[in-house]
Amino acid sequence: MSSIKGKAAIIGIGEIPTGRHGDKAAIHFAVTSAREAIQDAGINKDEIDFVMPTGALFNGQFNTDLVTCRVVEELGLKNVKTNAQVFAGGASGSCMVKTAAGLISSGVARNILCVHADKLGTGLAGGQAGIDLFSTAGISGEWEVPFGQHYSTIAALSMTRYMHETGCTAEDMAAVCVSNRKWAELNPNAFFRKPVTIEEILASKMLATPLNAKMSNMLFDGGSAFVMTSAERARDLCPRPVYLLGESSRVTHFVHSQEKDITRFGWAEAGREAFAEAGLTPADIDVAEIYDSYPIYELITFEELGFAERGQGGRMFRNGDTWPGGKIPTTTNGGMLSQGHTGAGGGVALVVEAARQLMGKAGDRQVPGARFAVETGTGGTYMDSQVTIFGTEIP
Amino acid sequence: MNTHSKIRPIVNPCAQPFWDATREDKLLIQQCEKCKTHIFYPRLFCTECHSDRLGWVEASGRGVVYSYTVVHNNSPSAFLADVPYVVAIVRLDEGVQMCTNIVDCDPAAVRCDMPVQVVFEALDSEFTLPKFKPAQ
Repeated sequence: MSSIKGKAAIIGIGEIPTGRHGDKAAIHFAVTSAREAIQDAGINKDEIDFVMPTGALFNGQFNTDLVTCRVVEELGLKNVKTNAQVFAGGASGSCMVKTAAGLISSGVARNILCVHADKLGTGLAGGQAGIDLFSTAGISGEWEVPFGQHYSTIAALSMTRYMHETGCTAEDMAAVCVSNRKWAELNPNAFFRKPVTIEEILASKMLATPLNAKMSNMLFDGGSAFVMTSAERARDLCPRPVYLLGESSRVTHFVHSQEKDITRFGWAEAGREAFAEAGLTPADIDVAEIYDSYPIYELITFEELGFAERGQGGRMFRNGDTWPGGKIPTTTNGGMLSQGHTGAGGGVALVVEAARQLMGKAGDRQVPGARFAVETGTGGTYMDSQVTIFGTEIP
Repeated sequence: MNTHSKIRPIVNPCAQPFWDATREDKLLIQQCEKCKTHIFYPRLFCTECHSDRLGWVEASGRGVVYSYTVVHNNSPSAFLADVPYVVAIVRLDEGVQMCTNIVDCDPAAVRCDMPVQVVFEALDSEFTLPKFKPAQ
């Protein structure tokens, strides 16, 4: 267990609407989100002493720009001591939070700007070329790509085994998509905001059994950012600082077919440790920002963290427990399935959403009085299980 | 019609004996001579005890389907002509897992935990892929 509880906090957030912004450069998304986060934090831009960009997946030039301090210069930050990238694919948001908190609590940095931007919606060849490109990202070129493995099959393999072991159905998977969409309907930064039904999802094109097209995420442009500082400073600056209360994680594989349990991964262990550090249980959580990208992963994580017995989570996504107004509001920005997948930004957006809910800034989808949130992230072919717990008070 | 060529493995040189063997219809995996652990995919040293003393052993070629999926749409280009095709994770009797295809059967007949045995499918003159069919 780490000893990071209550030592650092998120004090400002920024985000651009997820979508297709073909007329703008990726750096535009980075600096727009970052400026908003700095303003939201109520600090002077020159108080930022550490910039932590995450990575851009398929834009080598822009990724190099992020590594080589472009964000610092474009924002005109005068007192930055270090610019260092933290990049863990979809887990980047969770990994930035713990890395920033460690740097702050040890005194290496005071005010850290964490920022993501990428242009996967308009910066890549779409359609078939996009499928071909993504089927090599994080998938072994020696042991999986030659067999036709790609992201649809990876998600479908977990669905098949999970349904085999639990008796859950494709309807349960579709119910997760419906739940996320209900939140996205209330989120002005989400791309997909029209209601969808289980029947529509199951009637969509079959990609790889039992995964339908409408159970898949789509790639978009996006940018999001947050500012972290020490807990002491956060109390002076922010009416509702979002304290980091606990975190834990497991790395379980690189090559997907080497994973020992594709229906569980490392979520149970990581969750147990993160909750123990926070001194909380799932019953204390007001909002659960669970990484989706495909519904199976949201369902597995939800259950493994203890929000439902194994095999029983689907019922909660169906009956409204996870919806706006439900018992355990879940993935309240709509997730990658409805807000849209922005590469490493899918997970950063969930950190930003957790903070937004706890700060009381979530507008029409605000969970009233939310005090405690859990956020999860995972990268690559679901290579790691990252669990982070935030709160507006330190229990 | 599929105009895309098949995707060849990007070989880590330490795995070359594996690919040399599949061309001769043999499925080789590694075994640590010190701690006896079976290892797949091929490594430079033992993933359990870090010993350099890894040997190659011929696997039984028998195992079970841990999970599977039948691809119908939106596959990578190189596989568009193959749909519907089955991607699976097979657990060999030796305890190691591998990504593969299930062949020589109706894709709709594949099930979790189904016993399978290895078959070898030439990709080109250099590479032969180990695939699996229902066990007889």
